[in-house]
Amino acid sequence: MTRHFRCTACGKCCYGQLPLTWRDAEANAHLFPLGMVWTPVPQASKDFNLASQLGTTLKLPDRKELAILVVPTSFIPATRPCPALVDNKLCGIHEQKPARCRTMPFYPYREERFQNEVIKIKSDWECDTSEAAPVIYADSKVLESVDFNTERTQIESEAPMMRRYVEYMMKYTPTLANQLTLASTSGKAKHIVTSLSSFITATRYQDAKALARRQIPVLQAAIDHAKDKPELADFLRYYDSWYKEMSYLSQ
Amino acid sequence: MNQCPCSSERTFALCCEPILAGTPAASPEALVRARYTAFVKKDFDFIERTHAPEVRDDFNRAEAARLADEVEWDYLRIHSAKDYGTLGEVEYVVSFRKEQKPIKGATTSKFRKENGEWFYVSSKPAPHIANLRITPKVGRNDVCPCGSGRKYKKCCANPSAEDARA
Repeated sequence: MTRHFRCTACGKCCYGQLPLTWRDAEANAHLFPLGMVWTPVPQASKDFNLASQLGTTLKLPDRKELAILVVPTSFIPATRPCPALVDNKLCGIHEQKPARCRTMPFYPYREERFQNEVIKIKSDWECDTSEAAPVIYADSKVLESVDFNTERTQIESEAPMMRRYVEYMMKYTPTLANQLTLASTSGKAKHIVTSLSSFITATRYQDAKALARRQIPVLQAAIDHAKDKPELADFLRYYDSWYKEMSYLSQ
Repeated sequence: MNQCPCSSERTFALCCEPILAGTPAASPEALVRARYTAFVKKDFDFIERTHAPEVRDDFNRAEAARLADEVEWDYLRIHSAKDYGTLGEVEYVVSFRKEQKPIKGATTSKFRKENGEWFYVSSKPAPHIANLRITPKVGRNDVCPCGSGRKYKKCCANPSAEDARA
């Protein structure tokens, strides 16, 4: 299967949650409200092996295993544009933009041979997928794979840190294991969200104060956007909590 | 009379206050009480310094501060407390309200004594005690479980005798 693709810079994929490497999250903490998004991947999933490598595994009471991915994320609602998107629909940080954006429409948490399935162009996006656009995927290979490999390599290099974080959270929030099991089986909540404060505590992040100071205005903007919108009540609850924690850390 | 937040029915000055001020807690139970009181009083320095050294950096102070702001404390109930000399284990229930919603946390915590001071080591959930209302039977002549070192009958069994003891 051969896939054609060219970005037309319509800006329409620049909405909602953006999974980041920790390096990109840290570099852009003055732009993105950061949360840690946990995704349980069941043993039967084709993503299980890769997820175990990039994340960790958890033994369940029924002796099955869950792979756990923990991904620093620009945590914004699907209807809100990326805070880095500027008025002309272009990226305001194009030269330094996150690996996740560079790798679109590929997805690093699935094996290369299955990338065909993740290239999903939503109906209102203006991507050029005609024969005239360059071939980006052929014979189960990502062509021009520099960005794809860079993102994958970065995630791999951060895996030990994410494992340390998972261990910490399991130790201090033992109810998480149940929540993850539930999230892996239920149709609705497929993810669990934890705080940046817990991540920087677990990983002994050195300059918490400076990071917190960069998060505060971003979280304030997120609160302003979400308040008075009943459909964003869940987001607002996270932002309020994180705002308080970052305010405390910033002192 | 200024009652101690830890539900001991003693005054703050005769219960957790001296421990928060630096007097070592006399027992694992006394430390559980003092750490609960520290949460109520937002004394996070105390909570941090009574973590055992190997877990001290794990304390997420920002989260603790936020939670302490968001909740209204109802009570602490000690279900059992064991002092094995240098190790201790306490089962307890903490009851509080968050956004008016009542929440009960039932926990078993382990403690270790080092250079005469008790430190918090670890916790795990203890759901089996969440809804029990039984308090352990203490004989009148037993050492009081609050850690005062006095006999129960001259201590918490008879809170009004505090002034006489002091």
